[in-house]
Amino acid sequence: MKPAVALLGVGMFAILLQGVLASLIPAALTPDLSFLLVVALGTRLRSTGTGLLLASGLGYLADLFSGSLLGLHALLRVLAFGAARLCSRQLNLRGALPQAVFVGFLTLVNALGVAALTAFFSPEAGFGVPPLGTLLLHAFVNAIFGPLVAGGCEVILAFAGEDDRGRHLLRLEARSYRS
Amino acid sequence: MNPLGRSARMALGVAGLLLIALISMVSNRRALISGASSLPWGAGAVMDVAVPVQKTMAVPVDVVRDAWRDYVDLLDVRQENASLREQVWHLEEDNLQLREALVASGRLERIADMRDDFEIPMLPAELVGGGVSPWFRSVMFDRGHGDGVRAGMPVISEQGLVGLVTAASRRASQTMLLLDRQSAVDGTIQRSRARGMVRGRGGDELAFEFVARGGDVQVGDVVITSGLGGVYPKGLRVGEITRVSDPGSRLLQTATLAPAVDFGRLEQVFVMLRRGPTMELLYSGAGPDAEPTNTESGLAATRGAAAAEPTP
Repeated sequence: MKPAVALLGVGMFAILLQGVLASLIPAALTPDLSFLLVVALGTRLRSTGTGLLLASGLGYLADLFSGSLLGLHALLRVLAFGAARLCSRQLNLRGALPQAVFVGFLTLVNALGVAALTAFFSPEAGFGVPPLGTLLLHAFVNAIFGPLVAGGCEVILAFAGEDDRGRHLLRLEARSYRS
Repeated sequence: MNPLGRSARMALGVAGLLLIALISMVSNRRALISGASSLPWGAGAVMDVAVPVQKTMAVPVDVVRDAWRDYVDLLDVRQENASLREQVWHLEEDNLQLREALVASGRLERIADMRDDFEIPMLPAELVGGGVSPWFRSVMFDRGHGDGVRAGMPVISEQGLVGLVTAASRRASQTMLLLDRQSAVDGTIQRSRARGMVRGRGGDELAFEFVARGGDVQVGDVVITSGLGGVYPKGLRVGEITRVSDPGSRLLQTATLAPAVDFGRLEQVFVMLRRGPTMELLYSGAGPDAEPTNTESGLAATRGAAAAEPTP
């Protein structure tokens, strides 16, 4: 419970900070901090259930502060968390470079998801994918900030006693059988 | 614990969360169509809490931004001053000539009578934060339904039209900017009176869609709100045409429009405390057979409706 509340607080702060930054610099250059936090949680948080609830909650907060339909980002954040969770089991997403590449790719997929859901629920707007340049720029910015947010997330999890370092410290000794 | 049972529970949990999100989207859209003006209680409370926090967070950012702007502004203030003086002189002369022409045509009295129509109470509001998603162009202001702000109210600045309030909590409101993909405003070319639909593209430019045949649109033309439909007063500056595309064989021609408002420098705005049928227009999507008045000045009448509109 403690880490979940702490992470929700951090997520809320990240969204508000993002809002302040968005009023200062172009939207494509602003890192999507809540999205990055969700991806970081997907690769680091021990409890999948808590992570899913956090991803959904952060998604609703993003909806509230972005002007989209309530639930749009919540849905995509849950999917992003799931994707990060599944991929982290198969791929090494611990290093900065793999993380950056993964975050960049997931940003592009997320943008397509936003466009598709917006077109489905608000057909007046049409299916509008942002210009490729903007899309790639935003993916690049997210890719740069992805490992940083993941590092910050690790610190918070360690502070809240939710890090998974314990798993690495566990040593399995081979049993010796005497014939 | 049985691993299969655990993964099945997890799958159910994910499905449940996705379903809740979908239901939330559907109900939110339905609420917007029905014209509901305030957010769900929890959401409104979060927004209300966010306003003072975000304002505090913005203080150091504002200090840096103001210092930078002051410095940049000072660099060419002398040249700009001279240019502005010249412009004022020209405008004063134009103004005098126009007054003369109006008096001569007997229209001044009628304009004075019409003044009441434009006197809409306006509420100043301050920008608290930008939208957190780069795919939606919205901003948050520090005025909510406690101050009389409701969804569907137009927002303007001294430069021109800014957008439309889409949601309001007690102390804050979310405004969709003209730049948003879901935004569309019925506009008129000031010079030729050609009508069209101003649509957001999600970027920093707008698109002006008009019927190619007979649509007299040139680079440099100023687009204003048409004022029909009762959402916006007539004559609000929307932007200036920067490029006109070749229509080819298409019925609709598109021109690129630079917005009148510098959205990057938006700080203080005015909410027009008059609510039009905009939200209904925005989400009901008037079809090609819709009456022209239904599509005349709201945001987001459909492309079909825009095409169906005759250009006077």
